Amino acid sequence: MEAILTRHLDQDNPQNLAAYQATGGYRSLNTAFDLKPEKIIETVEAANLRGRGGAGFSCGMKWRLRGADAPSPRYLVCNLDESEPGTFKDRYLLYGAPHAIIESVIVSAFALQAERAFIFVRGEYAKGGHRLIQAIREAETAGLLGRNLGGSGFDLHIDVHLSGGRYICGEETAQINAIEGKRPNPRPKIPRPSTHGLWGQPTTTNNVETLVNVPHILMNGAEWFRRLGINGGCGTKLFCISGKVKHPGVFELPCGTPARELIYKHAGGLDNDERTLLGFLPGGASTPFLLPQHLDVPMDFDPVAEAGSRLGTGSLIILDDTTCPIETVLNLTRFFARESCGFCTPCRDGLPYLVQILNAIATGNGSADDLALLDELCSTIATQSFCAFAPGAVMPLVSSLKDFHEHYEQHIITQRCPFDASRKEAV
Amino acid sequence: MDTFLIDGQSVTFEPGENILQAALEADIQIPHFCYHAALGSLGACRLCAVEINPKDSDKNARVVMACLEPAQKGLEVSLSAAAAQQVRRHVIELLMINHPHDCPICDEGGECHLQEMTVACGPSYRRYRGNKRTFPNQDLGPLIHHEMNRCITCYRCTRFYQDYALGNDLGAMRLRNEVYFGRFQDGPLENPFAGNLVEICPTGVFTDAVFRQHFARTWDLKTAPSICPHCSVGCNTLPGARDGTLRRVRNRAHQELNRWFICDRGRYGHQYSEHNTRPLSPRVSGINTDYRSALAAAARKIQAAAERTGGIGSVREDLEGNVMLRSLLNDLKGIFTAFNDPELEAATLTAVSRMQELDNTPHLAALEQIDAALITGDLTVHAPMIDLALRQAWRNGAKLAMLHSSVAPLTQFASTAATVAPREIHDMLTQLYRQISRQPETNDAVTQTIKTIAATLSQARQPLMAGVVETSTAQDIIALAELAKAFEPAAQLIYVLPGPNAYGAALLSAAGDTVSLLKAVERGEVQTLIVAGSDPFSEPRSGARWRVARQKINTLIVLDCIATATAEAADILIPVAAWPERSGTFVNYEGRAQGFSTVFHRPEYLPSTADIISEISRLLENQLCDAASMLQDSFPGFQAPTPGTPGVQISAQHLPIRNNELMQTEPYSSDNGWQAALTSWLGDEPLAGFSPALTELAPPDTALINPESAARASLKSGSSVRLWNSVYSVETCVQINPSVANETIAIPRSMLVRLGIGHGDSLNLEQLV
Ligand SMILES: Cc1cc2nc3c(=O)[nH]c(=O)nc-3n(C[C@H](O)[C@H](O)[C@H](O)COP(=O)(O)O)c2cc1C
Ligand code: SF4
Ligand code: SF4
Ligand code: SF4
Ligand code: FES
Repeated sequence: MEAILTRHLDQDNPQNLAAYQATGGYRSLNTAFDLKPEKIIETVEAANLRGRGGAGFSCGMKWRLRGADAPSPRYLVCNLDESEPGTFKDRYLLYGAPHAIIESVIVSAFALQAERAFIFVRGEYAKGGHRLIQAIREAETAGLLGRNLGGSGFDLHIDVHLSGGRYICGEETAQINAIEGKRPNPRPKIPRPSTHGLWGQPTTTNNVETLVNVPHILMNGAEWFRRLGINGGCGTKLFCISGKVKHPGVFELPCGTPARELIYKHAGGLDNDERTLLGFLPGGASTPFLLPQHLDVPMDFDPVAEAGSRLGTGSLIILDDTTCPIETVLNLTRFFARESCGFCTPCRDGLPYLVQILNAIATGNGSADDLALLDELCSTIATQSFCAFAPGAVMPLVSSLKDFHEHYEQHIITQRCPFDASRKEAV
Repeated sequence: MDTFLIDGQSVTFEPGENILQAALEADIQIPHFCYHAALGSLGACRLCAVEINPKDSDKNARVVMACLEPAQKGLEVSLSAAAAQQVRRHVIELLMINHPHDCPICDEGGECHLQEMTVACGPSYRRYRGNKRTFPNQDLGPLIHHEMNRCITCYRCTRFYQDYALGNDLGAMRLRNEVYFGRFQDGPLENPFAGNLVEICPTGVFTDAVFRQHFARTWDLKTAPSICPHCSVGCNTLPGARDGTLRRVRNRAHQELNRWFICDRGRYGHQYSEHNTRPLSPRVSGINTDYRSALAAAARKIQAAAERTGGIGSVREDLEGNVMLRSLLNDLKGIFTAFNDPELEAATLTAVSRMQELDNTPHLAALEQIDAALITGDLTVHAPMIDLALRQAWRNGAKLAMLHSSVAPLTQFASTAATVAPREIHDMLTQLYRQISRQPETNDAVTQTIKTIAATLSQARQPLMAGVVETSTAQDIIALAELAKAFEPAAQLIYVLPGPNAYGAALLSAAGDTVSLLKAVERGEVQTLIVAGSDPFSEPRSGARWRVARQKINTLIVLDCIATATAEAADILIPVAAWPERSGTFVNYEGRAQGFSTVFHRPEYLPSTADIISEISRLLENQLCDAASMLQDSFPGFQAPTPGTPGVQISAQHLPIRNNELMQTEPYSSDNGWQAALTSWLGDEPLAGFSPALTELAPPDTALINPESAARASLKSGSSVRLWNSVYSVETCVQINPSVANETIAIPRSMLVRLGIGHGDSLNLEQLV
């Protein structure tokens, strides 16, 4: 397989402008400027590049639907907020190849005819953010950014926004508020950011990994890109694998690679060969569990959805049979309760309620009614919250109630954690 | 109009309305927290869940938020559906997880939206077994008490404070279930509309700190529709009293004036009526007595003086009191005026006559729709709710141009603002007039400011001219009115008048009577002076003259409900009922007559001004008719407007349009060219001046001077100076303030009074070492 996303990657010593250009960097600019913006969008749509930020929406279609006649100024936002537990792929791109990000933002902005782009960087990635700013200065000095960049007649200014640091800032509309300097509460679904985004102007948000594919698609064509994937997937994907495996890490592999291959081949299998797999989260912390019987599901958007979960960010979190799934779910729910933006009631006050119940169960204080109560509360939290945060937040919990029902019952009946009796707390 | 159904009941809606709005207008109560008619939908609380059954589609019924779902023709909405009820029950359960359940000691109890919603939707029992999250509270100053543990995070407070009232010292901080609504640090809230937090917060987080000092449960309060007596806007209020004392004032919605809100002066100024200096017993020659003796003494003095009696009514006295006093003086052939100051009289009469002439004075709801305005002076203090309406216009994109001599908080939102010395405003307006009517004089060096303002106003669909009478001369007022007329059709015109019934007082006054009376008193031609609800001694420009002239008066009879300087000096002091203790009529800046009711009686016997004058005239045996019939004589067809109704435009003959030959006071010219300007603050109003909660917030008395003028005079912030005119002087210290015009010294009212000068008069400055 041809590595495209990781081609220029060097975590310790990222390429400067000259080195990047010497190894083929920024070549897609000329390809792009020779094309009409609509043609680029058509190619990206034909390549079936699906959003890598979690939802898997077709990138080309999103761009086309914004419309070529959207009023100026138009904005592009590159989402590099990456705060989901278990997801650490965008970080590799940021620290390892800042110029690859800039190149992809330039060609994407050209396709969208956006005169200004923002790269929203997770607050904890400050060092990477500064590397990126440095790279932008290099590109500006070389005339690759700014007015009439590269002699194309196209103007683009890129700003790096270093986040104040909250998970919710990754959500598209909360991020728009954050860039505007407001509280990062999500905005109502209507009007859409594509027409009323940053400062009320048309705004397109994409995950950084999504965008980094674009130059390669332009230079090699849609068909080439589609063929990079296997089992029906298109392109390659940065998979993050963490948890109870020998070699956790980021792997660029074809979209559609089965979970079994990811876990047992690339991540080296479970870290203790004596253990068996309990289950895994396929797409980051806000996706439902998959079980050992799903190991052969191709890790691509549709097959994972058919298996009852979500590919999300393609970040697998592996549990073996020594991991208490209740403790895992408690841990994740705690994270989400902590990161709730506090805007709507079901999420803000519902998640801490779930934490309280889960904690009682995990520490041997659960009661017989708790499972029904969890289920009941989740039904409202998942369906009646303001943004997609809370529905995602309860996904592992809701699926665990089904998949790990016996574990829950065991906790409640024995009034202790079967994995670790020391967790027992006095009430 | 189209309709949809809520549980089978047909509801009409306007295009663009959502289900919740339409339902509330039809008086169908869909539970809600974060939605507020003034603020619109937010979608945060998730309480307004309803089930909808989409028509003409195979989609399933689903639960949606009524405040976010557009009303559609034929839509079937169910409030009672089990799925919707379950969501509402969950929302309440979640909101109550951390709530302290301290209703018995909470000031909101009994009028708490959260209580009502919990009873309507919520589970009666608690399932949550964890600990509650708790918050520290803040000291937000004397007006508002803060109790954050009761918060349900509905965001109404910040949306009102920041988005609507455009304040910036209160907001939402932190996240998750720890969102904190408060200030960055302890300290009094700075926005002049902060008190509305008490009403907009659906729980007991923000409560009325003044009410709290002498609290009563809402069901124990006596209430009746009243009108705010603290400025000429005439906001509708609902005072609440118990056991013969006034406890609080709340907003009462008037669709065209104050819809949901009132200003902090309107909410907290009422403490004047409970002030410990308030006269409650009649006093003759310094000795407390009863009404019968005091009135008999007054009648004897008046009888002795006969036509050598004078009478001063008041811009803060109701129509009834003013008309009775005027009739008494008519009978006696003495002079009556409703003003203390000749220039203020001229300015008020001119302003009223010009508003009558243009007949295009907008109410507050209409003000929110204007797209450009020229404002002279400080509306924030002189008519706070007009300022709030203009803030809404600004939010809708209106351009505000401002000319001001001293501090004017609305300039924060001005697209063009210029500081202009008081006596130069007229010239600015004249230049603007020429620019707009396209007759710039040759060689007329028109400044960029003039050009910009003229362009802004000329491009507007609906320009407004707004001025403040108290800081304008009659000539300034004429100039602004002429400017309004220069637009086709004429621009809207507002003059903020100097009291809640200044309009009514003007209609009952004859031009020039104030100066005639003042001169008559100075010449010793007035033996007995009756002053009703007025404080001539504390008038900036003429107060000093009145205080001197008082020596020539045999008997000073004062009727008032506050201990003014004039009341303190009275030979016969007759306490009267404060506004919530009587009924009457005020005419606001639009000429709208509004009635107010007696809310309660104090234990002391306290008649109204009209009652007292009627009794005096009975004792004089020249019986006056009652106030109602006298008002009918003055205003054809006059019917006292029923309290609680929107009021009526008063039908009065137009005051004559004058070009103001009357006012020929020769300005005192100073040696070093400084002009005085009045700088006010929210509590600077005769009644509110007796409200301790407000006066606690008074800025220090200093002389404000702008940086350039200060530099030229080698003054720094903190420099001690002596200000003087021909007779009086005061010592104070300088504070540098860029909102003050060149060569202008902006000083508080009390200093103007001590100096015996008015806004725009000259004064001298000398630095003390
Ligand atoms: C709670 C929440 C957090 C999110 N965080 C991120 C994030 O950190 N990075 C990201 O690219 N997208 C994130 N998203 C998705 C974005 O809203 C948006 O859909 C995405 O950036 C679009 O890019 P794509 O179409 O290229 O995937 C988040 C969504 C939600 C609801
Ligand atoms: S679901 Fe959570 S993150 Fe989203 S708006 Fe509601 S409180 Fe905020
Ligand atoms: S303080 Fe009151 S108005 Fe503000 S969010 Fe809390 S409950 Fe709502
Ligand atoms: S604006 Fe005037 S009338 Fe209205 S509440 Fe304030 S002081 Fe009273
Ligand atoms: S009123 Fe509809 S969500 Fe709050």
